[in-house]
Amino acid sequence: MTFMIIRRKILTSAFLLALITSLSGVAISASASAKATNPTEFIADLGDKAIRTLADTSVGDASRRMKFRILFLEGFDVKSLSRYAIGRYWRKASKDQRGEYQRLFTDFIVNTYANRFGQYSGEKLDVTGERAVKGKDTIVQSQIVRPKGAPVRVDWRVRLRKSGFKVIDIVVEGVSMAITQREEFSSVIRRHGGKIDGLISELKRKTK
Amino acid sequence: MRYTFGVIKLFEVFAYSGQPKSGNGNKLLRLSRILAVLAASSLVACASLPEDPEARAEAVALNDPAEPLNRSVFEFNRGVDTLILRPVSEAYRQTLPQAGQDMVRNFLNNLKSPVVFANDLMQGEVDRAGETFGRFIFNTTIGVGGLFDIAGIEHHSEDFGQTLATWGASEGPYLVLPLIGPSPVRDTVGLVADYYLDPVAHYFDNVDRGNLNWVRAGARAIDTRSRNIETLDDIERSAIDYYATIRSLYRQRRKDEIMNGQNDGTVPMPEISLETEDDDLDEKYTLLKTE
Repeated sequence: MTFMIIRRKILTSAFLLALITSLSGVAISASASAKATNPTEFIADLGDKAIRTLADTSVGDASRRMKFRILFLEGFDVKSLSRYAIGRYWRKASKDQRGEYQRLFTDFIVNTYANRFGQYSGEKLDVTGERAVKGKDTIVQSQIVRPKGAPVRVDWRVRLRKSGFKVIDIVVEGVSMAITQREEFSSVIRRHGGKIDGLISELKRKTK
Repeated sequence: MRYTFGVIKLFEVFAYSGQPKSGNGNKLLRLSRILAVLAASSLVACASLPEDPEARAEAVALNDPAEPLNRSVFEFNRGVDTLILRPVSEAYRQTLPQAGQDMVRNFLNNLKSPVVFANDLMQGEVDRAGETFGRFIFNTTIGVGGLFDIAGIEHHSEDFGQTLATWGASEGPYLVLPLIGPSPVRDTVGLVADYYLDPVAHYFDNVDRGNLNWVRAGARAIDTRSRNIETLDDIERSAIDYYATIRSLYRQRRKDEIMNGQNDGTVPMPEISLETEDDDLDEKYTLLKTE
């Protein structure tokens, strides 16, 4: 029984594939700026464009990275995400620190996911429904259908901003990207004596 | 404090109930003692909650009082994984054809059916218990001892940690156990209980083939690890704090498993209450600049 081990550790992990697929998915969406009129349409549209772009292998690495960056910034509410990720430490940060942190946050996400574009192998995004949650957000429910293996459950938390719909969280098989990031980042800050500079230097190291 | 004490008591109960049986009770007793020590060490750590109310609230929510110890064990597990489990799993995946790997998994899943069935029942999930039962009958007979999954009903897993959760037990302090990995107090209690619930484990012990239990656990570890090589590599590569990431993932996945994936609005989504409005929208585009 001892060796039930890593099974548990691993249960947690199946999510990442989905996270990557979905994120890269979203990323590509944006630029074609026909504005969606409801959250479901927004996500379906996003998934569509994402897959079209993913399937296109003619793009070079550098331009793909830039494209991803633009799309991420347009499809996601990056400012909210980055603030949420450091929680209470945001208030303590100076203006300069905030600016630098947000830029690094974007670099970090782009770095983490951009390399994985080449790995598209026929996944499809099926939007299955939506429901309202407390406040002004909508959860768009979807599935990533894979050529091999069970479909992956993905919930998109969408909020309406002046500039249109924005994704503020992705929940893959019950795992929230926002919560995971927040717990990781605040742990890093704590271990650097509560200083946001600690996180900033770690992010720099990671995004070099 | 009282809570931790209660946990130690609980382990004692488990330990002593196991004693009448052969050598296996002793093993469990030892395990329980180790766990009791772990629980006690978390008790000590409890004494040093930070003063600042916000930091304090954060520490309470984190519920990882033995974090320094947990981190050491985590690193130890990582070492074992790098040196043994990962290479073995990779070799396994490369050598055995997919059909063979599926058979191994089917067989292991089938072997665990009685435990899943018992937990289904204890959670009052009668339909799911029926599914587990039906699968077991079909796959054990027509499926040649469980090698083939021909029942046509999707497999699901349950364990006593989840059962305790549905009974209202909270997760308890986070623990990382040697070789076992993330296993908060509730899930650790669940592990011990599942062992007792498992007729297959008892059978192996009774015929003096307790080593088969280890073979089985090893096979399960390799099976699972071999299917997650790239995923875990990715998580590790992108993590700044791998320990904190795994802790977060473990808890969220468990919560989802406990709900059987049915969190349709019953589980509160994260409160993302950011006062950020579109005020500084233009600023966003400065983020487009890379350095």
